[in-house]
Amino acid sequence: MSRKAFLPGCALPSYNPQAVEATIRHLKNIYPDLSVVQKCCGKPTIAVGQAEKFAERFAGLVEDIKYCEADEVIVACQSCMKTLKGCEDYKTTSLWELLPLIGLPKELVGKARDSDVVFSVHDSCSVRDYTGIHNGIRWTLAALGYKFVDPPGRARDMARCCGFGGMIVPVSPDIAQRVMRRRVDDFPTSKSVVYCAACRSSFMTVGADSWHILDLLFGDVVYENTPPPANVLASPLKAWGNRHKSKRLINTVMK
Amino acid sequence: MVFSQTTLENAKAIAENCQGSHRAFCASRCPMHCDVIGYVNLIGEGKTTDAIKKIREALFLPGTLGRICAHPCETVCRRETEFNQPIAIAALKRYAADMADDESLWDISKKPQTGKKIAVIGAGPAGAQAAIDLAKEGHDVAIYEKLDVVGGMMRVGIPEYRLPRNLIDREYTYLTKLGIAINLGVEIGKDMPFNELANNHDAVIVANGAHQGFVPPIKGAETGGITNAADFLKSVSLGDKNLKVGKNVLVVGGGDVAMDCARTALRLGAESVNLVSLERMEELPASKHEQTGSLDEGVVFNLGWGGEEIFSENGSVSGIKLKECTSVFDAEGKFSPSFSENTQEISCDMLIFATGQRVQDVTGGALAQGGGSRYDADKDTLATSVDKVFVAGDCAGATIVVEAMALGRKAAVSVNRFLAGMDLKEDRDLDNEYSCETALDIPLPEDLQDLPRKHTRELDPKARIGSFEECDLGFDDETALQESQRCIKCECKQCMTECIMFNEFTQFPGMMFEAFLKDGKIEPLAVYSCNMCDQCTIVCPEDFKFAALFGDLRKDMVIANNGESPMAGHKAINMHQKLGFSKMFTTRKKGGK
Repeated sequence: MSRKAFLPGCALPSYNPQAVEATIRHLKNIYPDLSVVQKCCGKPTIAVGQAEKFAERFAGLVEDIKYCEADEVIVACQSCMKTLKGCEDYKTTSLWELLPLIGLPKELVGKARDSDVVFSVHDSCSVRDYTGIHNGIRWTLAALGYKFVDPPGRARDMARCCGFGGMIVPVSPDIAQRVMRRRVDDFPTSKSVVYCAACRSSFMTVGADSWHILDLLFGDVVYENTPPPANVLASPLKAWGNRHKSKRLINTVMK
Repeated sequence: MVFSQTTLENAKAIAENCQGSHRAFCASRCPMHCDVIGYVNLIGEGKTTDAIKKIREALFLPGTLGRICAHPCETVCRRETEFNQPIAIAALKRYAADMADDESLWDISKKPQTGKKIAVIGAGPAGAQAAIDLAKEGHDVAIYEKLDVVGGMMRVGIPEYRLPRNLIDREYTYLTKLGIAINLGVEIGKDMPFNELANNHDAVIVANGAHQGFVPPIKGAETGGITNAADFLKSVSLGDKNLKVGKNVLVVGGGDVAMDCARTALRLGAESVNLVSLERMEELPASKHEQTGSLDEGVVFNLGWGGEEIFSENGSVSGIKLKECTSVFDAEGKFSPSFSENTQEISCDMLIFATGQRVQDVTGGALAQGGGSRYDADKDTLATSVDKVFVAGDCAGATIVVEAMALGRKAAVSVNRFLAGMDLKEDRDLDNEYSCETALDIPLPEDLQDLPRKHTRELDPKARIGSFEECDLGFDDETALQESQRCIKCECKQCMTECIMFNEFTQFPGMMFEAFLKDGKIEPLAVYSCNMCDQCTIVCPEDFKFAALFGDLRKDMVIANNGESPMAGHKAINMHQKLGFSKMFTTRKKGGK
């Protein structure tokens, strides 16, 4: 059996450290030898055009994976997925395509059967071509018992950007917000579910209620009148606090 | 700033092949490249004044063309090629002209006077267009017209019931507003020798039209009561009081001119009008609208027949023997009719041949005349073998009004180059000067429905043959609105409908990258406003990877900026990245034993 390493990425630990911890616990039940690396893949550097810095940063991440002696990497972040896909030394698997294969923690299956919410599913534009990820997200929602719909003509391989991509937010905040607003307007229902914490933050920025799939998996059942979690990523202080907390939780659970 | 080879190559591919710059099928086929989508959709938005302004950017006689243009644009309209229901482009043009063509909107600006004198022979559409273009360049332009009226063949070839004369006169006032001198009733070659005209001007454009009718050499054709379309229609148009029309008229020909003759004869009191043509219904050259108009008014079509012999009584025509035409063109598509042994006879007391018209030489032999009697000239420049003499319009091979105008414009471009001492051909965009094919290749809208073409209102056929009153009444407001909204806007704006960013910085990507290659720079804000979401690529018919190109441009900009993004807003990322890789926020935990 291959040795696996889980990479939660950056945005998810900054948003919801408890979800990171719960995910690791679940994965460890299946893969007792699981390793975990919390480090940025360097995507922001390449996005702004810093090719040299990216090479250096990415090498740092690869070194950590090597240290763990992992040959398969499980990622929770779509940018990590794309960045690592280019690296032939490892098999890269998305957590979202893995869940249907390993199943959910038993006690969580069907927990949201009574929920009256219908979520609009937002697919990450960076993984438009990854049908397995799209299917995995829908499988997970169905397994939890949630109802959900696709934005008509704008789902899966036709998904539109949340507005966060390309590092444009600090450069063209107006354009970014218009892209965010347009994406929200694609949604047939008022609540959306995402699998990227940055996407969630985008929708929250324009006043649309959104949940991360791990919020739904490990958090309380969401009903029509349930308020969404705070837009943590909008506050750098809280976000870095969470990232630090995630590190501590990882260290604890991996002891 | 230095850009990488990859950046430059990809930018070049987009600049050269982006379909954003490709004209729509209609505008491409229009020899004057009128922005059809532009004005049709302005009408659809209720902005009729803006629509007529848009039309006038290309055409000085929108009311005239809206009525009589053969509208080649409609033959390539995608609603024609898909459903045989083209947008009524010409009728919408007329609607805009009738509703909103206020003279205060006319652009009569000109460049400063150059002192150059140019003579134009002929006040038809070609001569008028050439004169306009040259006057706007600041030249001193004089038109010499044999007739006492302006308009050329539009005036004496197209009947009044299709084109009211006051409209031609009104639209031609644009020329006098531009300071063009129109000398009516001056026949070059008779009232003034061609050489004298040439000697007194810096350049001459010969656009005297194809006014010479033609009677084919059929046995018995030398008898009385036989005329040709050009003479017949001219006599009617100029109000010739001696003109007598027969009781039973027969017109030979299958084009719009034949239809004009037939319908005119009815209006002059003919009791019966027969039309004979070699072509059968499906290959009849006349436009559908004219065919229908003729049939509605009672013209009897005898299609697939050719004249064999003309009979006469008392020195005047009494009938014609026809033989059945089995095919008009040979295997190579050349005009080469074949006939069977079948014959029929039709009696008539007037016979009009609408079988082609020729150019009458006005240059005293200075210009040679070749195929179809057109003057010999370079087809790309319309320059002749005689220094400073150019040709345009029917004289240069045009067959419809809007083509004549385009050739007038082409001659004017040449004259301008000639006067400036420039090469006539170097770096010349010939596609821009005539009908051309577009490379546009985009999918039809997914939800496209076959909506039927709207038709204009018309006078009752029985009532209209009693006079020369205009029989097409045009669109009413609501129908014009509905018709214009059928336009499916065949432009490649695929990425522009998907990408918010592109719309902030350009009209289409090809334009952005053409400017980049030309100027050697691009606005960093544009480069750094791409979401890199590839939504553009998904819909791009060329599958261009715009995000990757912006990514490469960013790399180039970072190199030129000492390793940092040129955007101030990105400074924070450095700190984020430092933290994201610091021990404080990272961890690695090796599992297992």
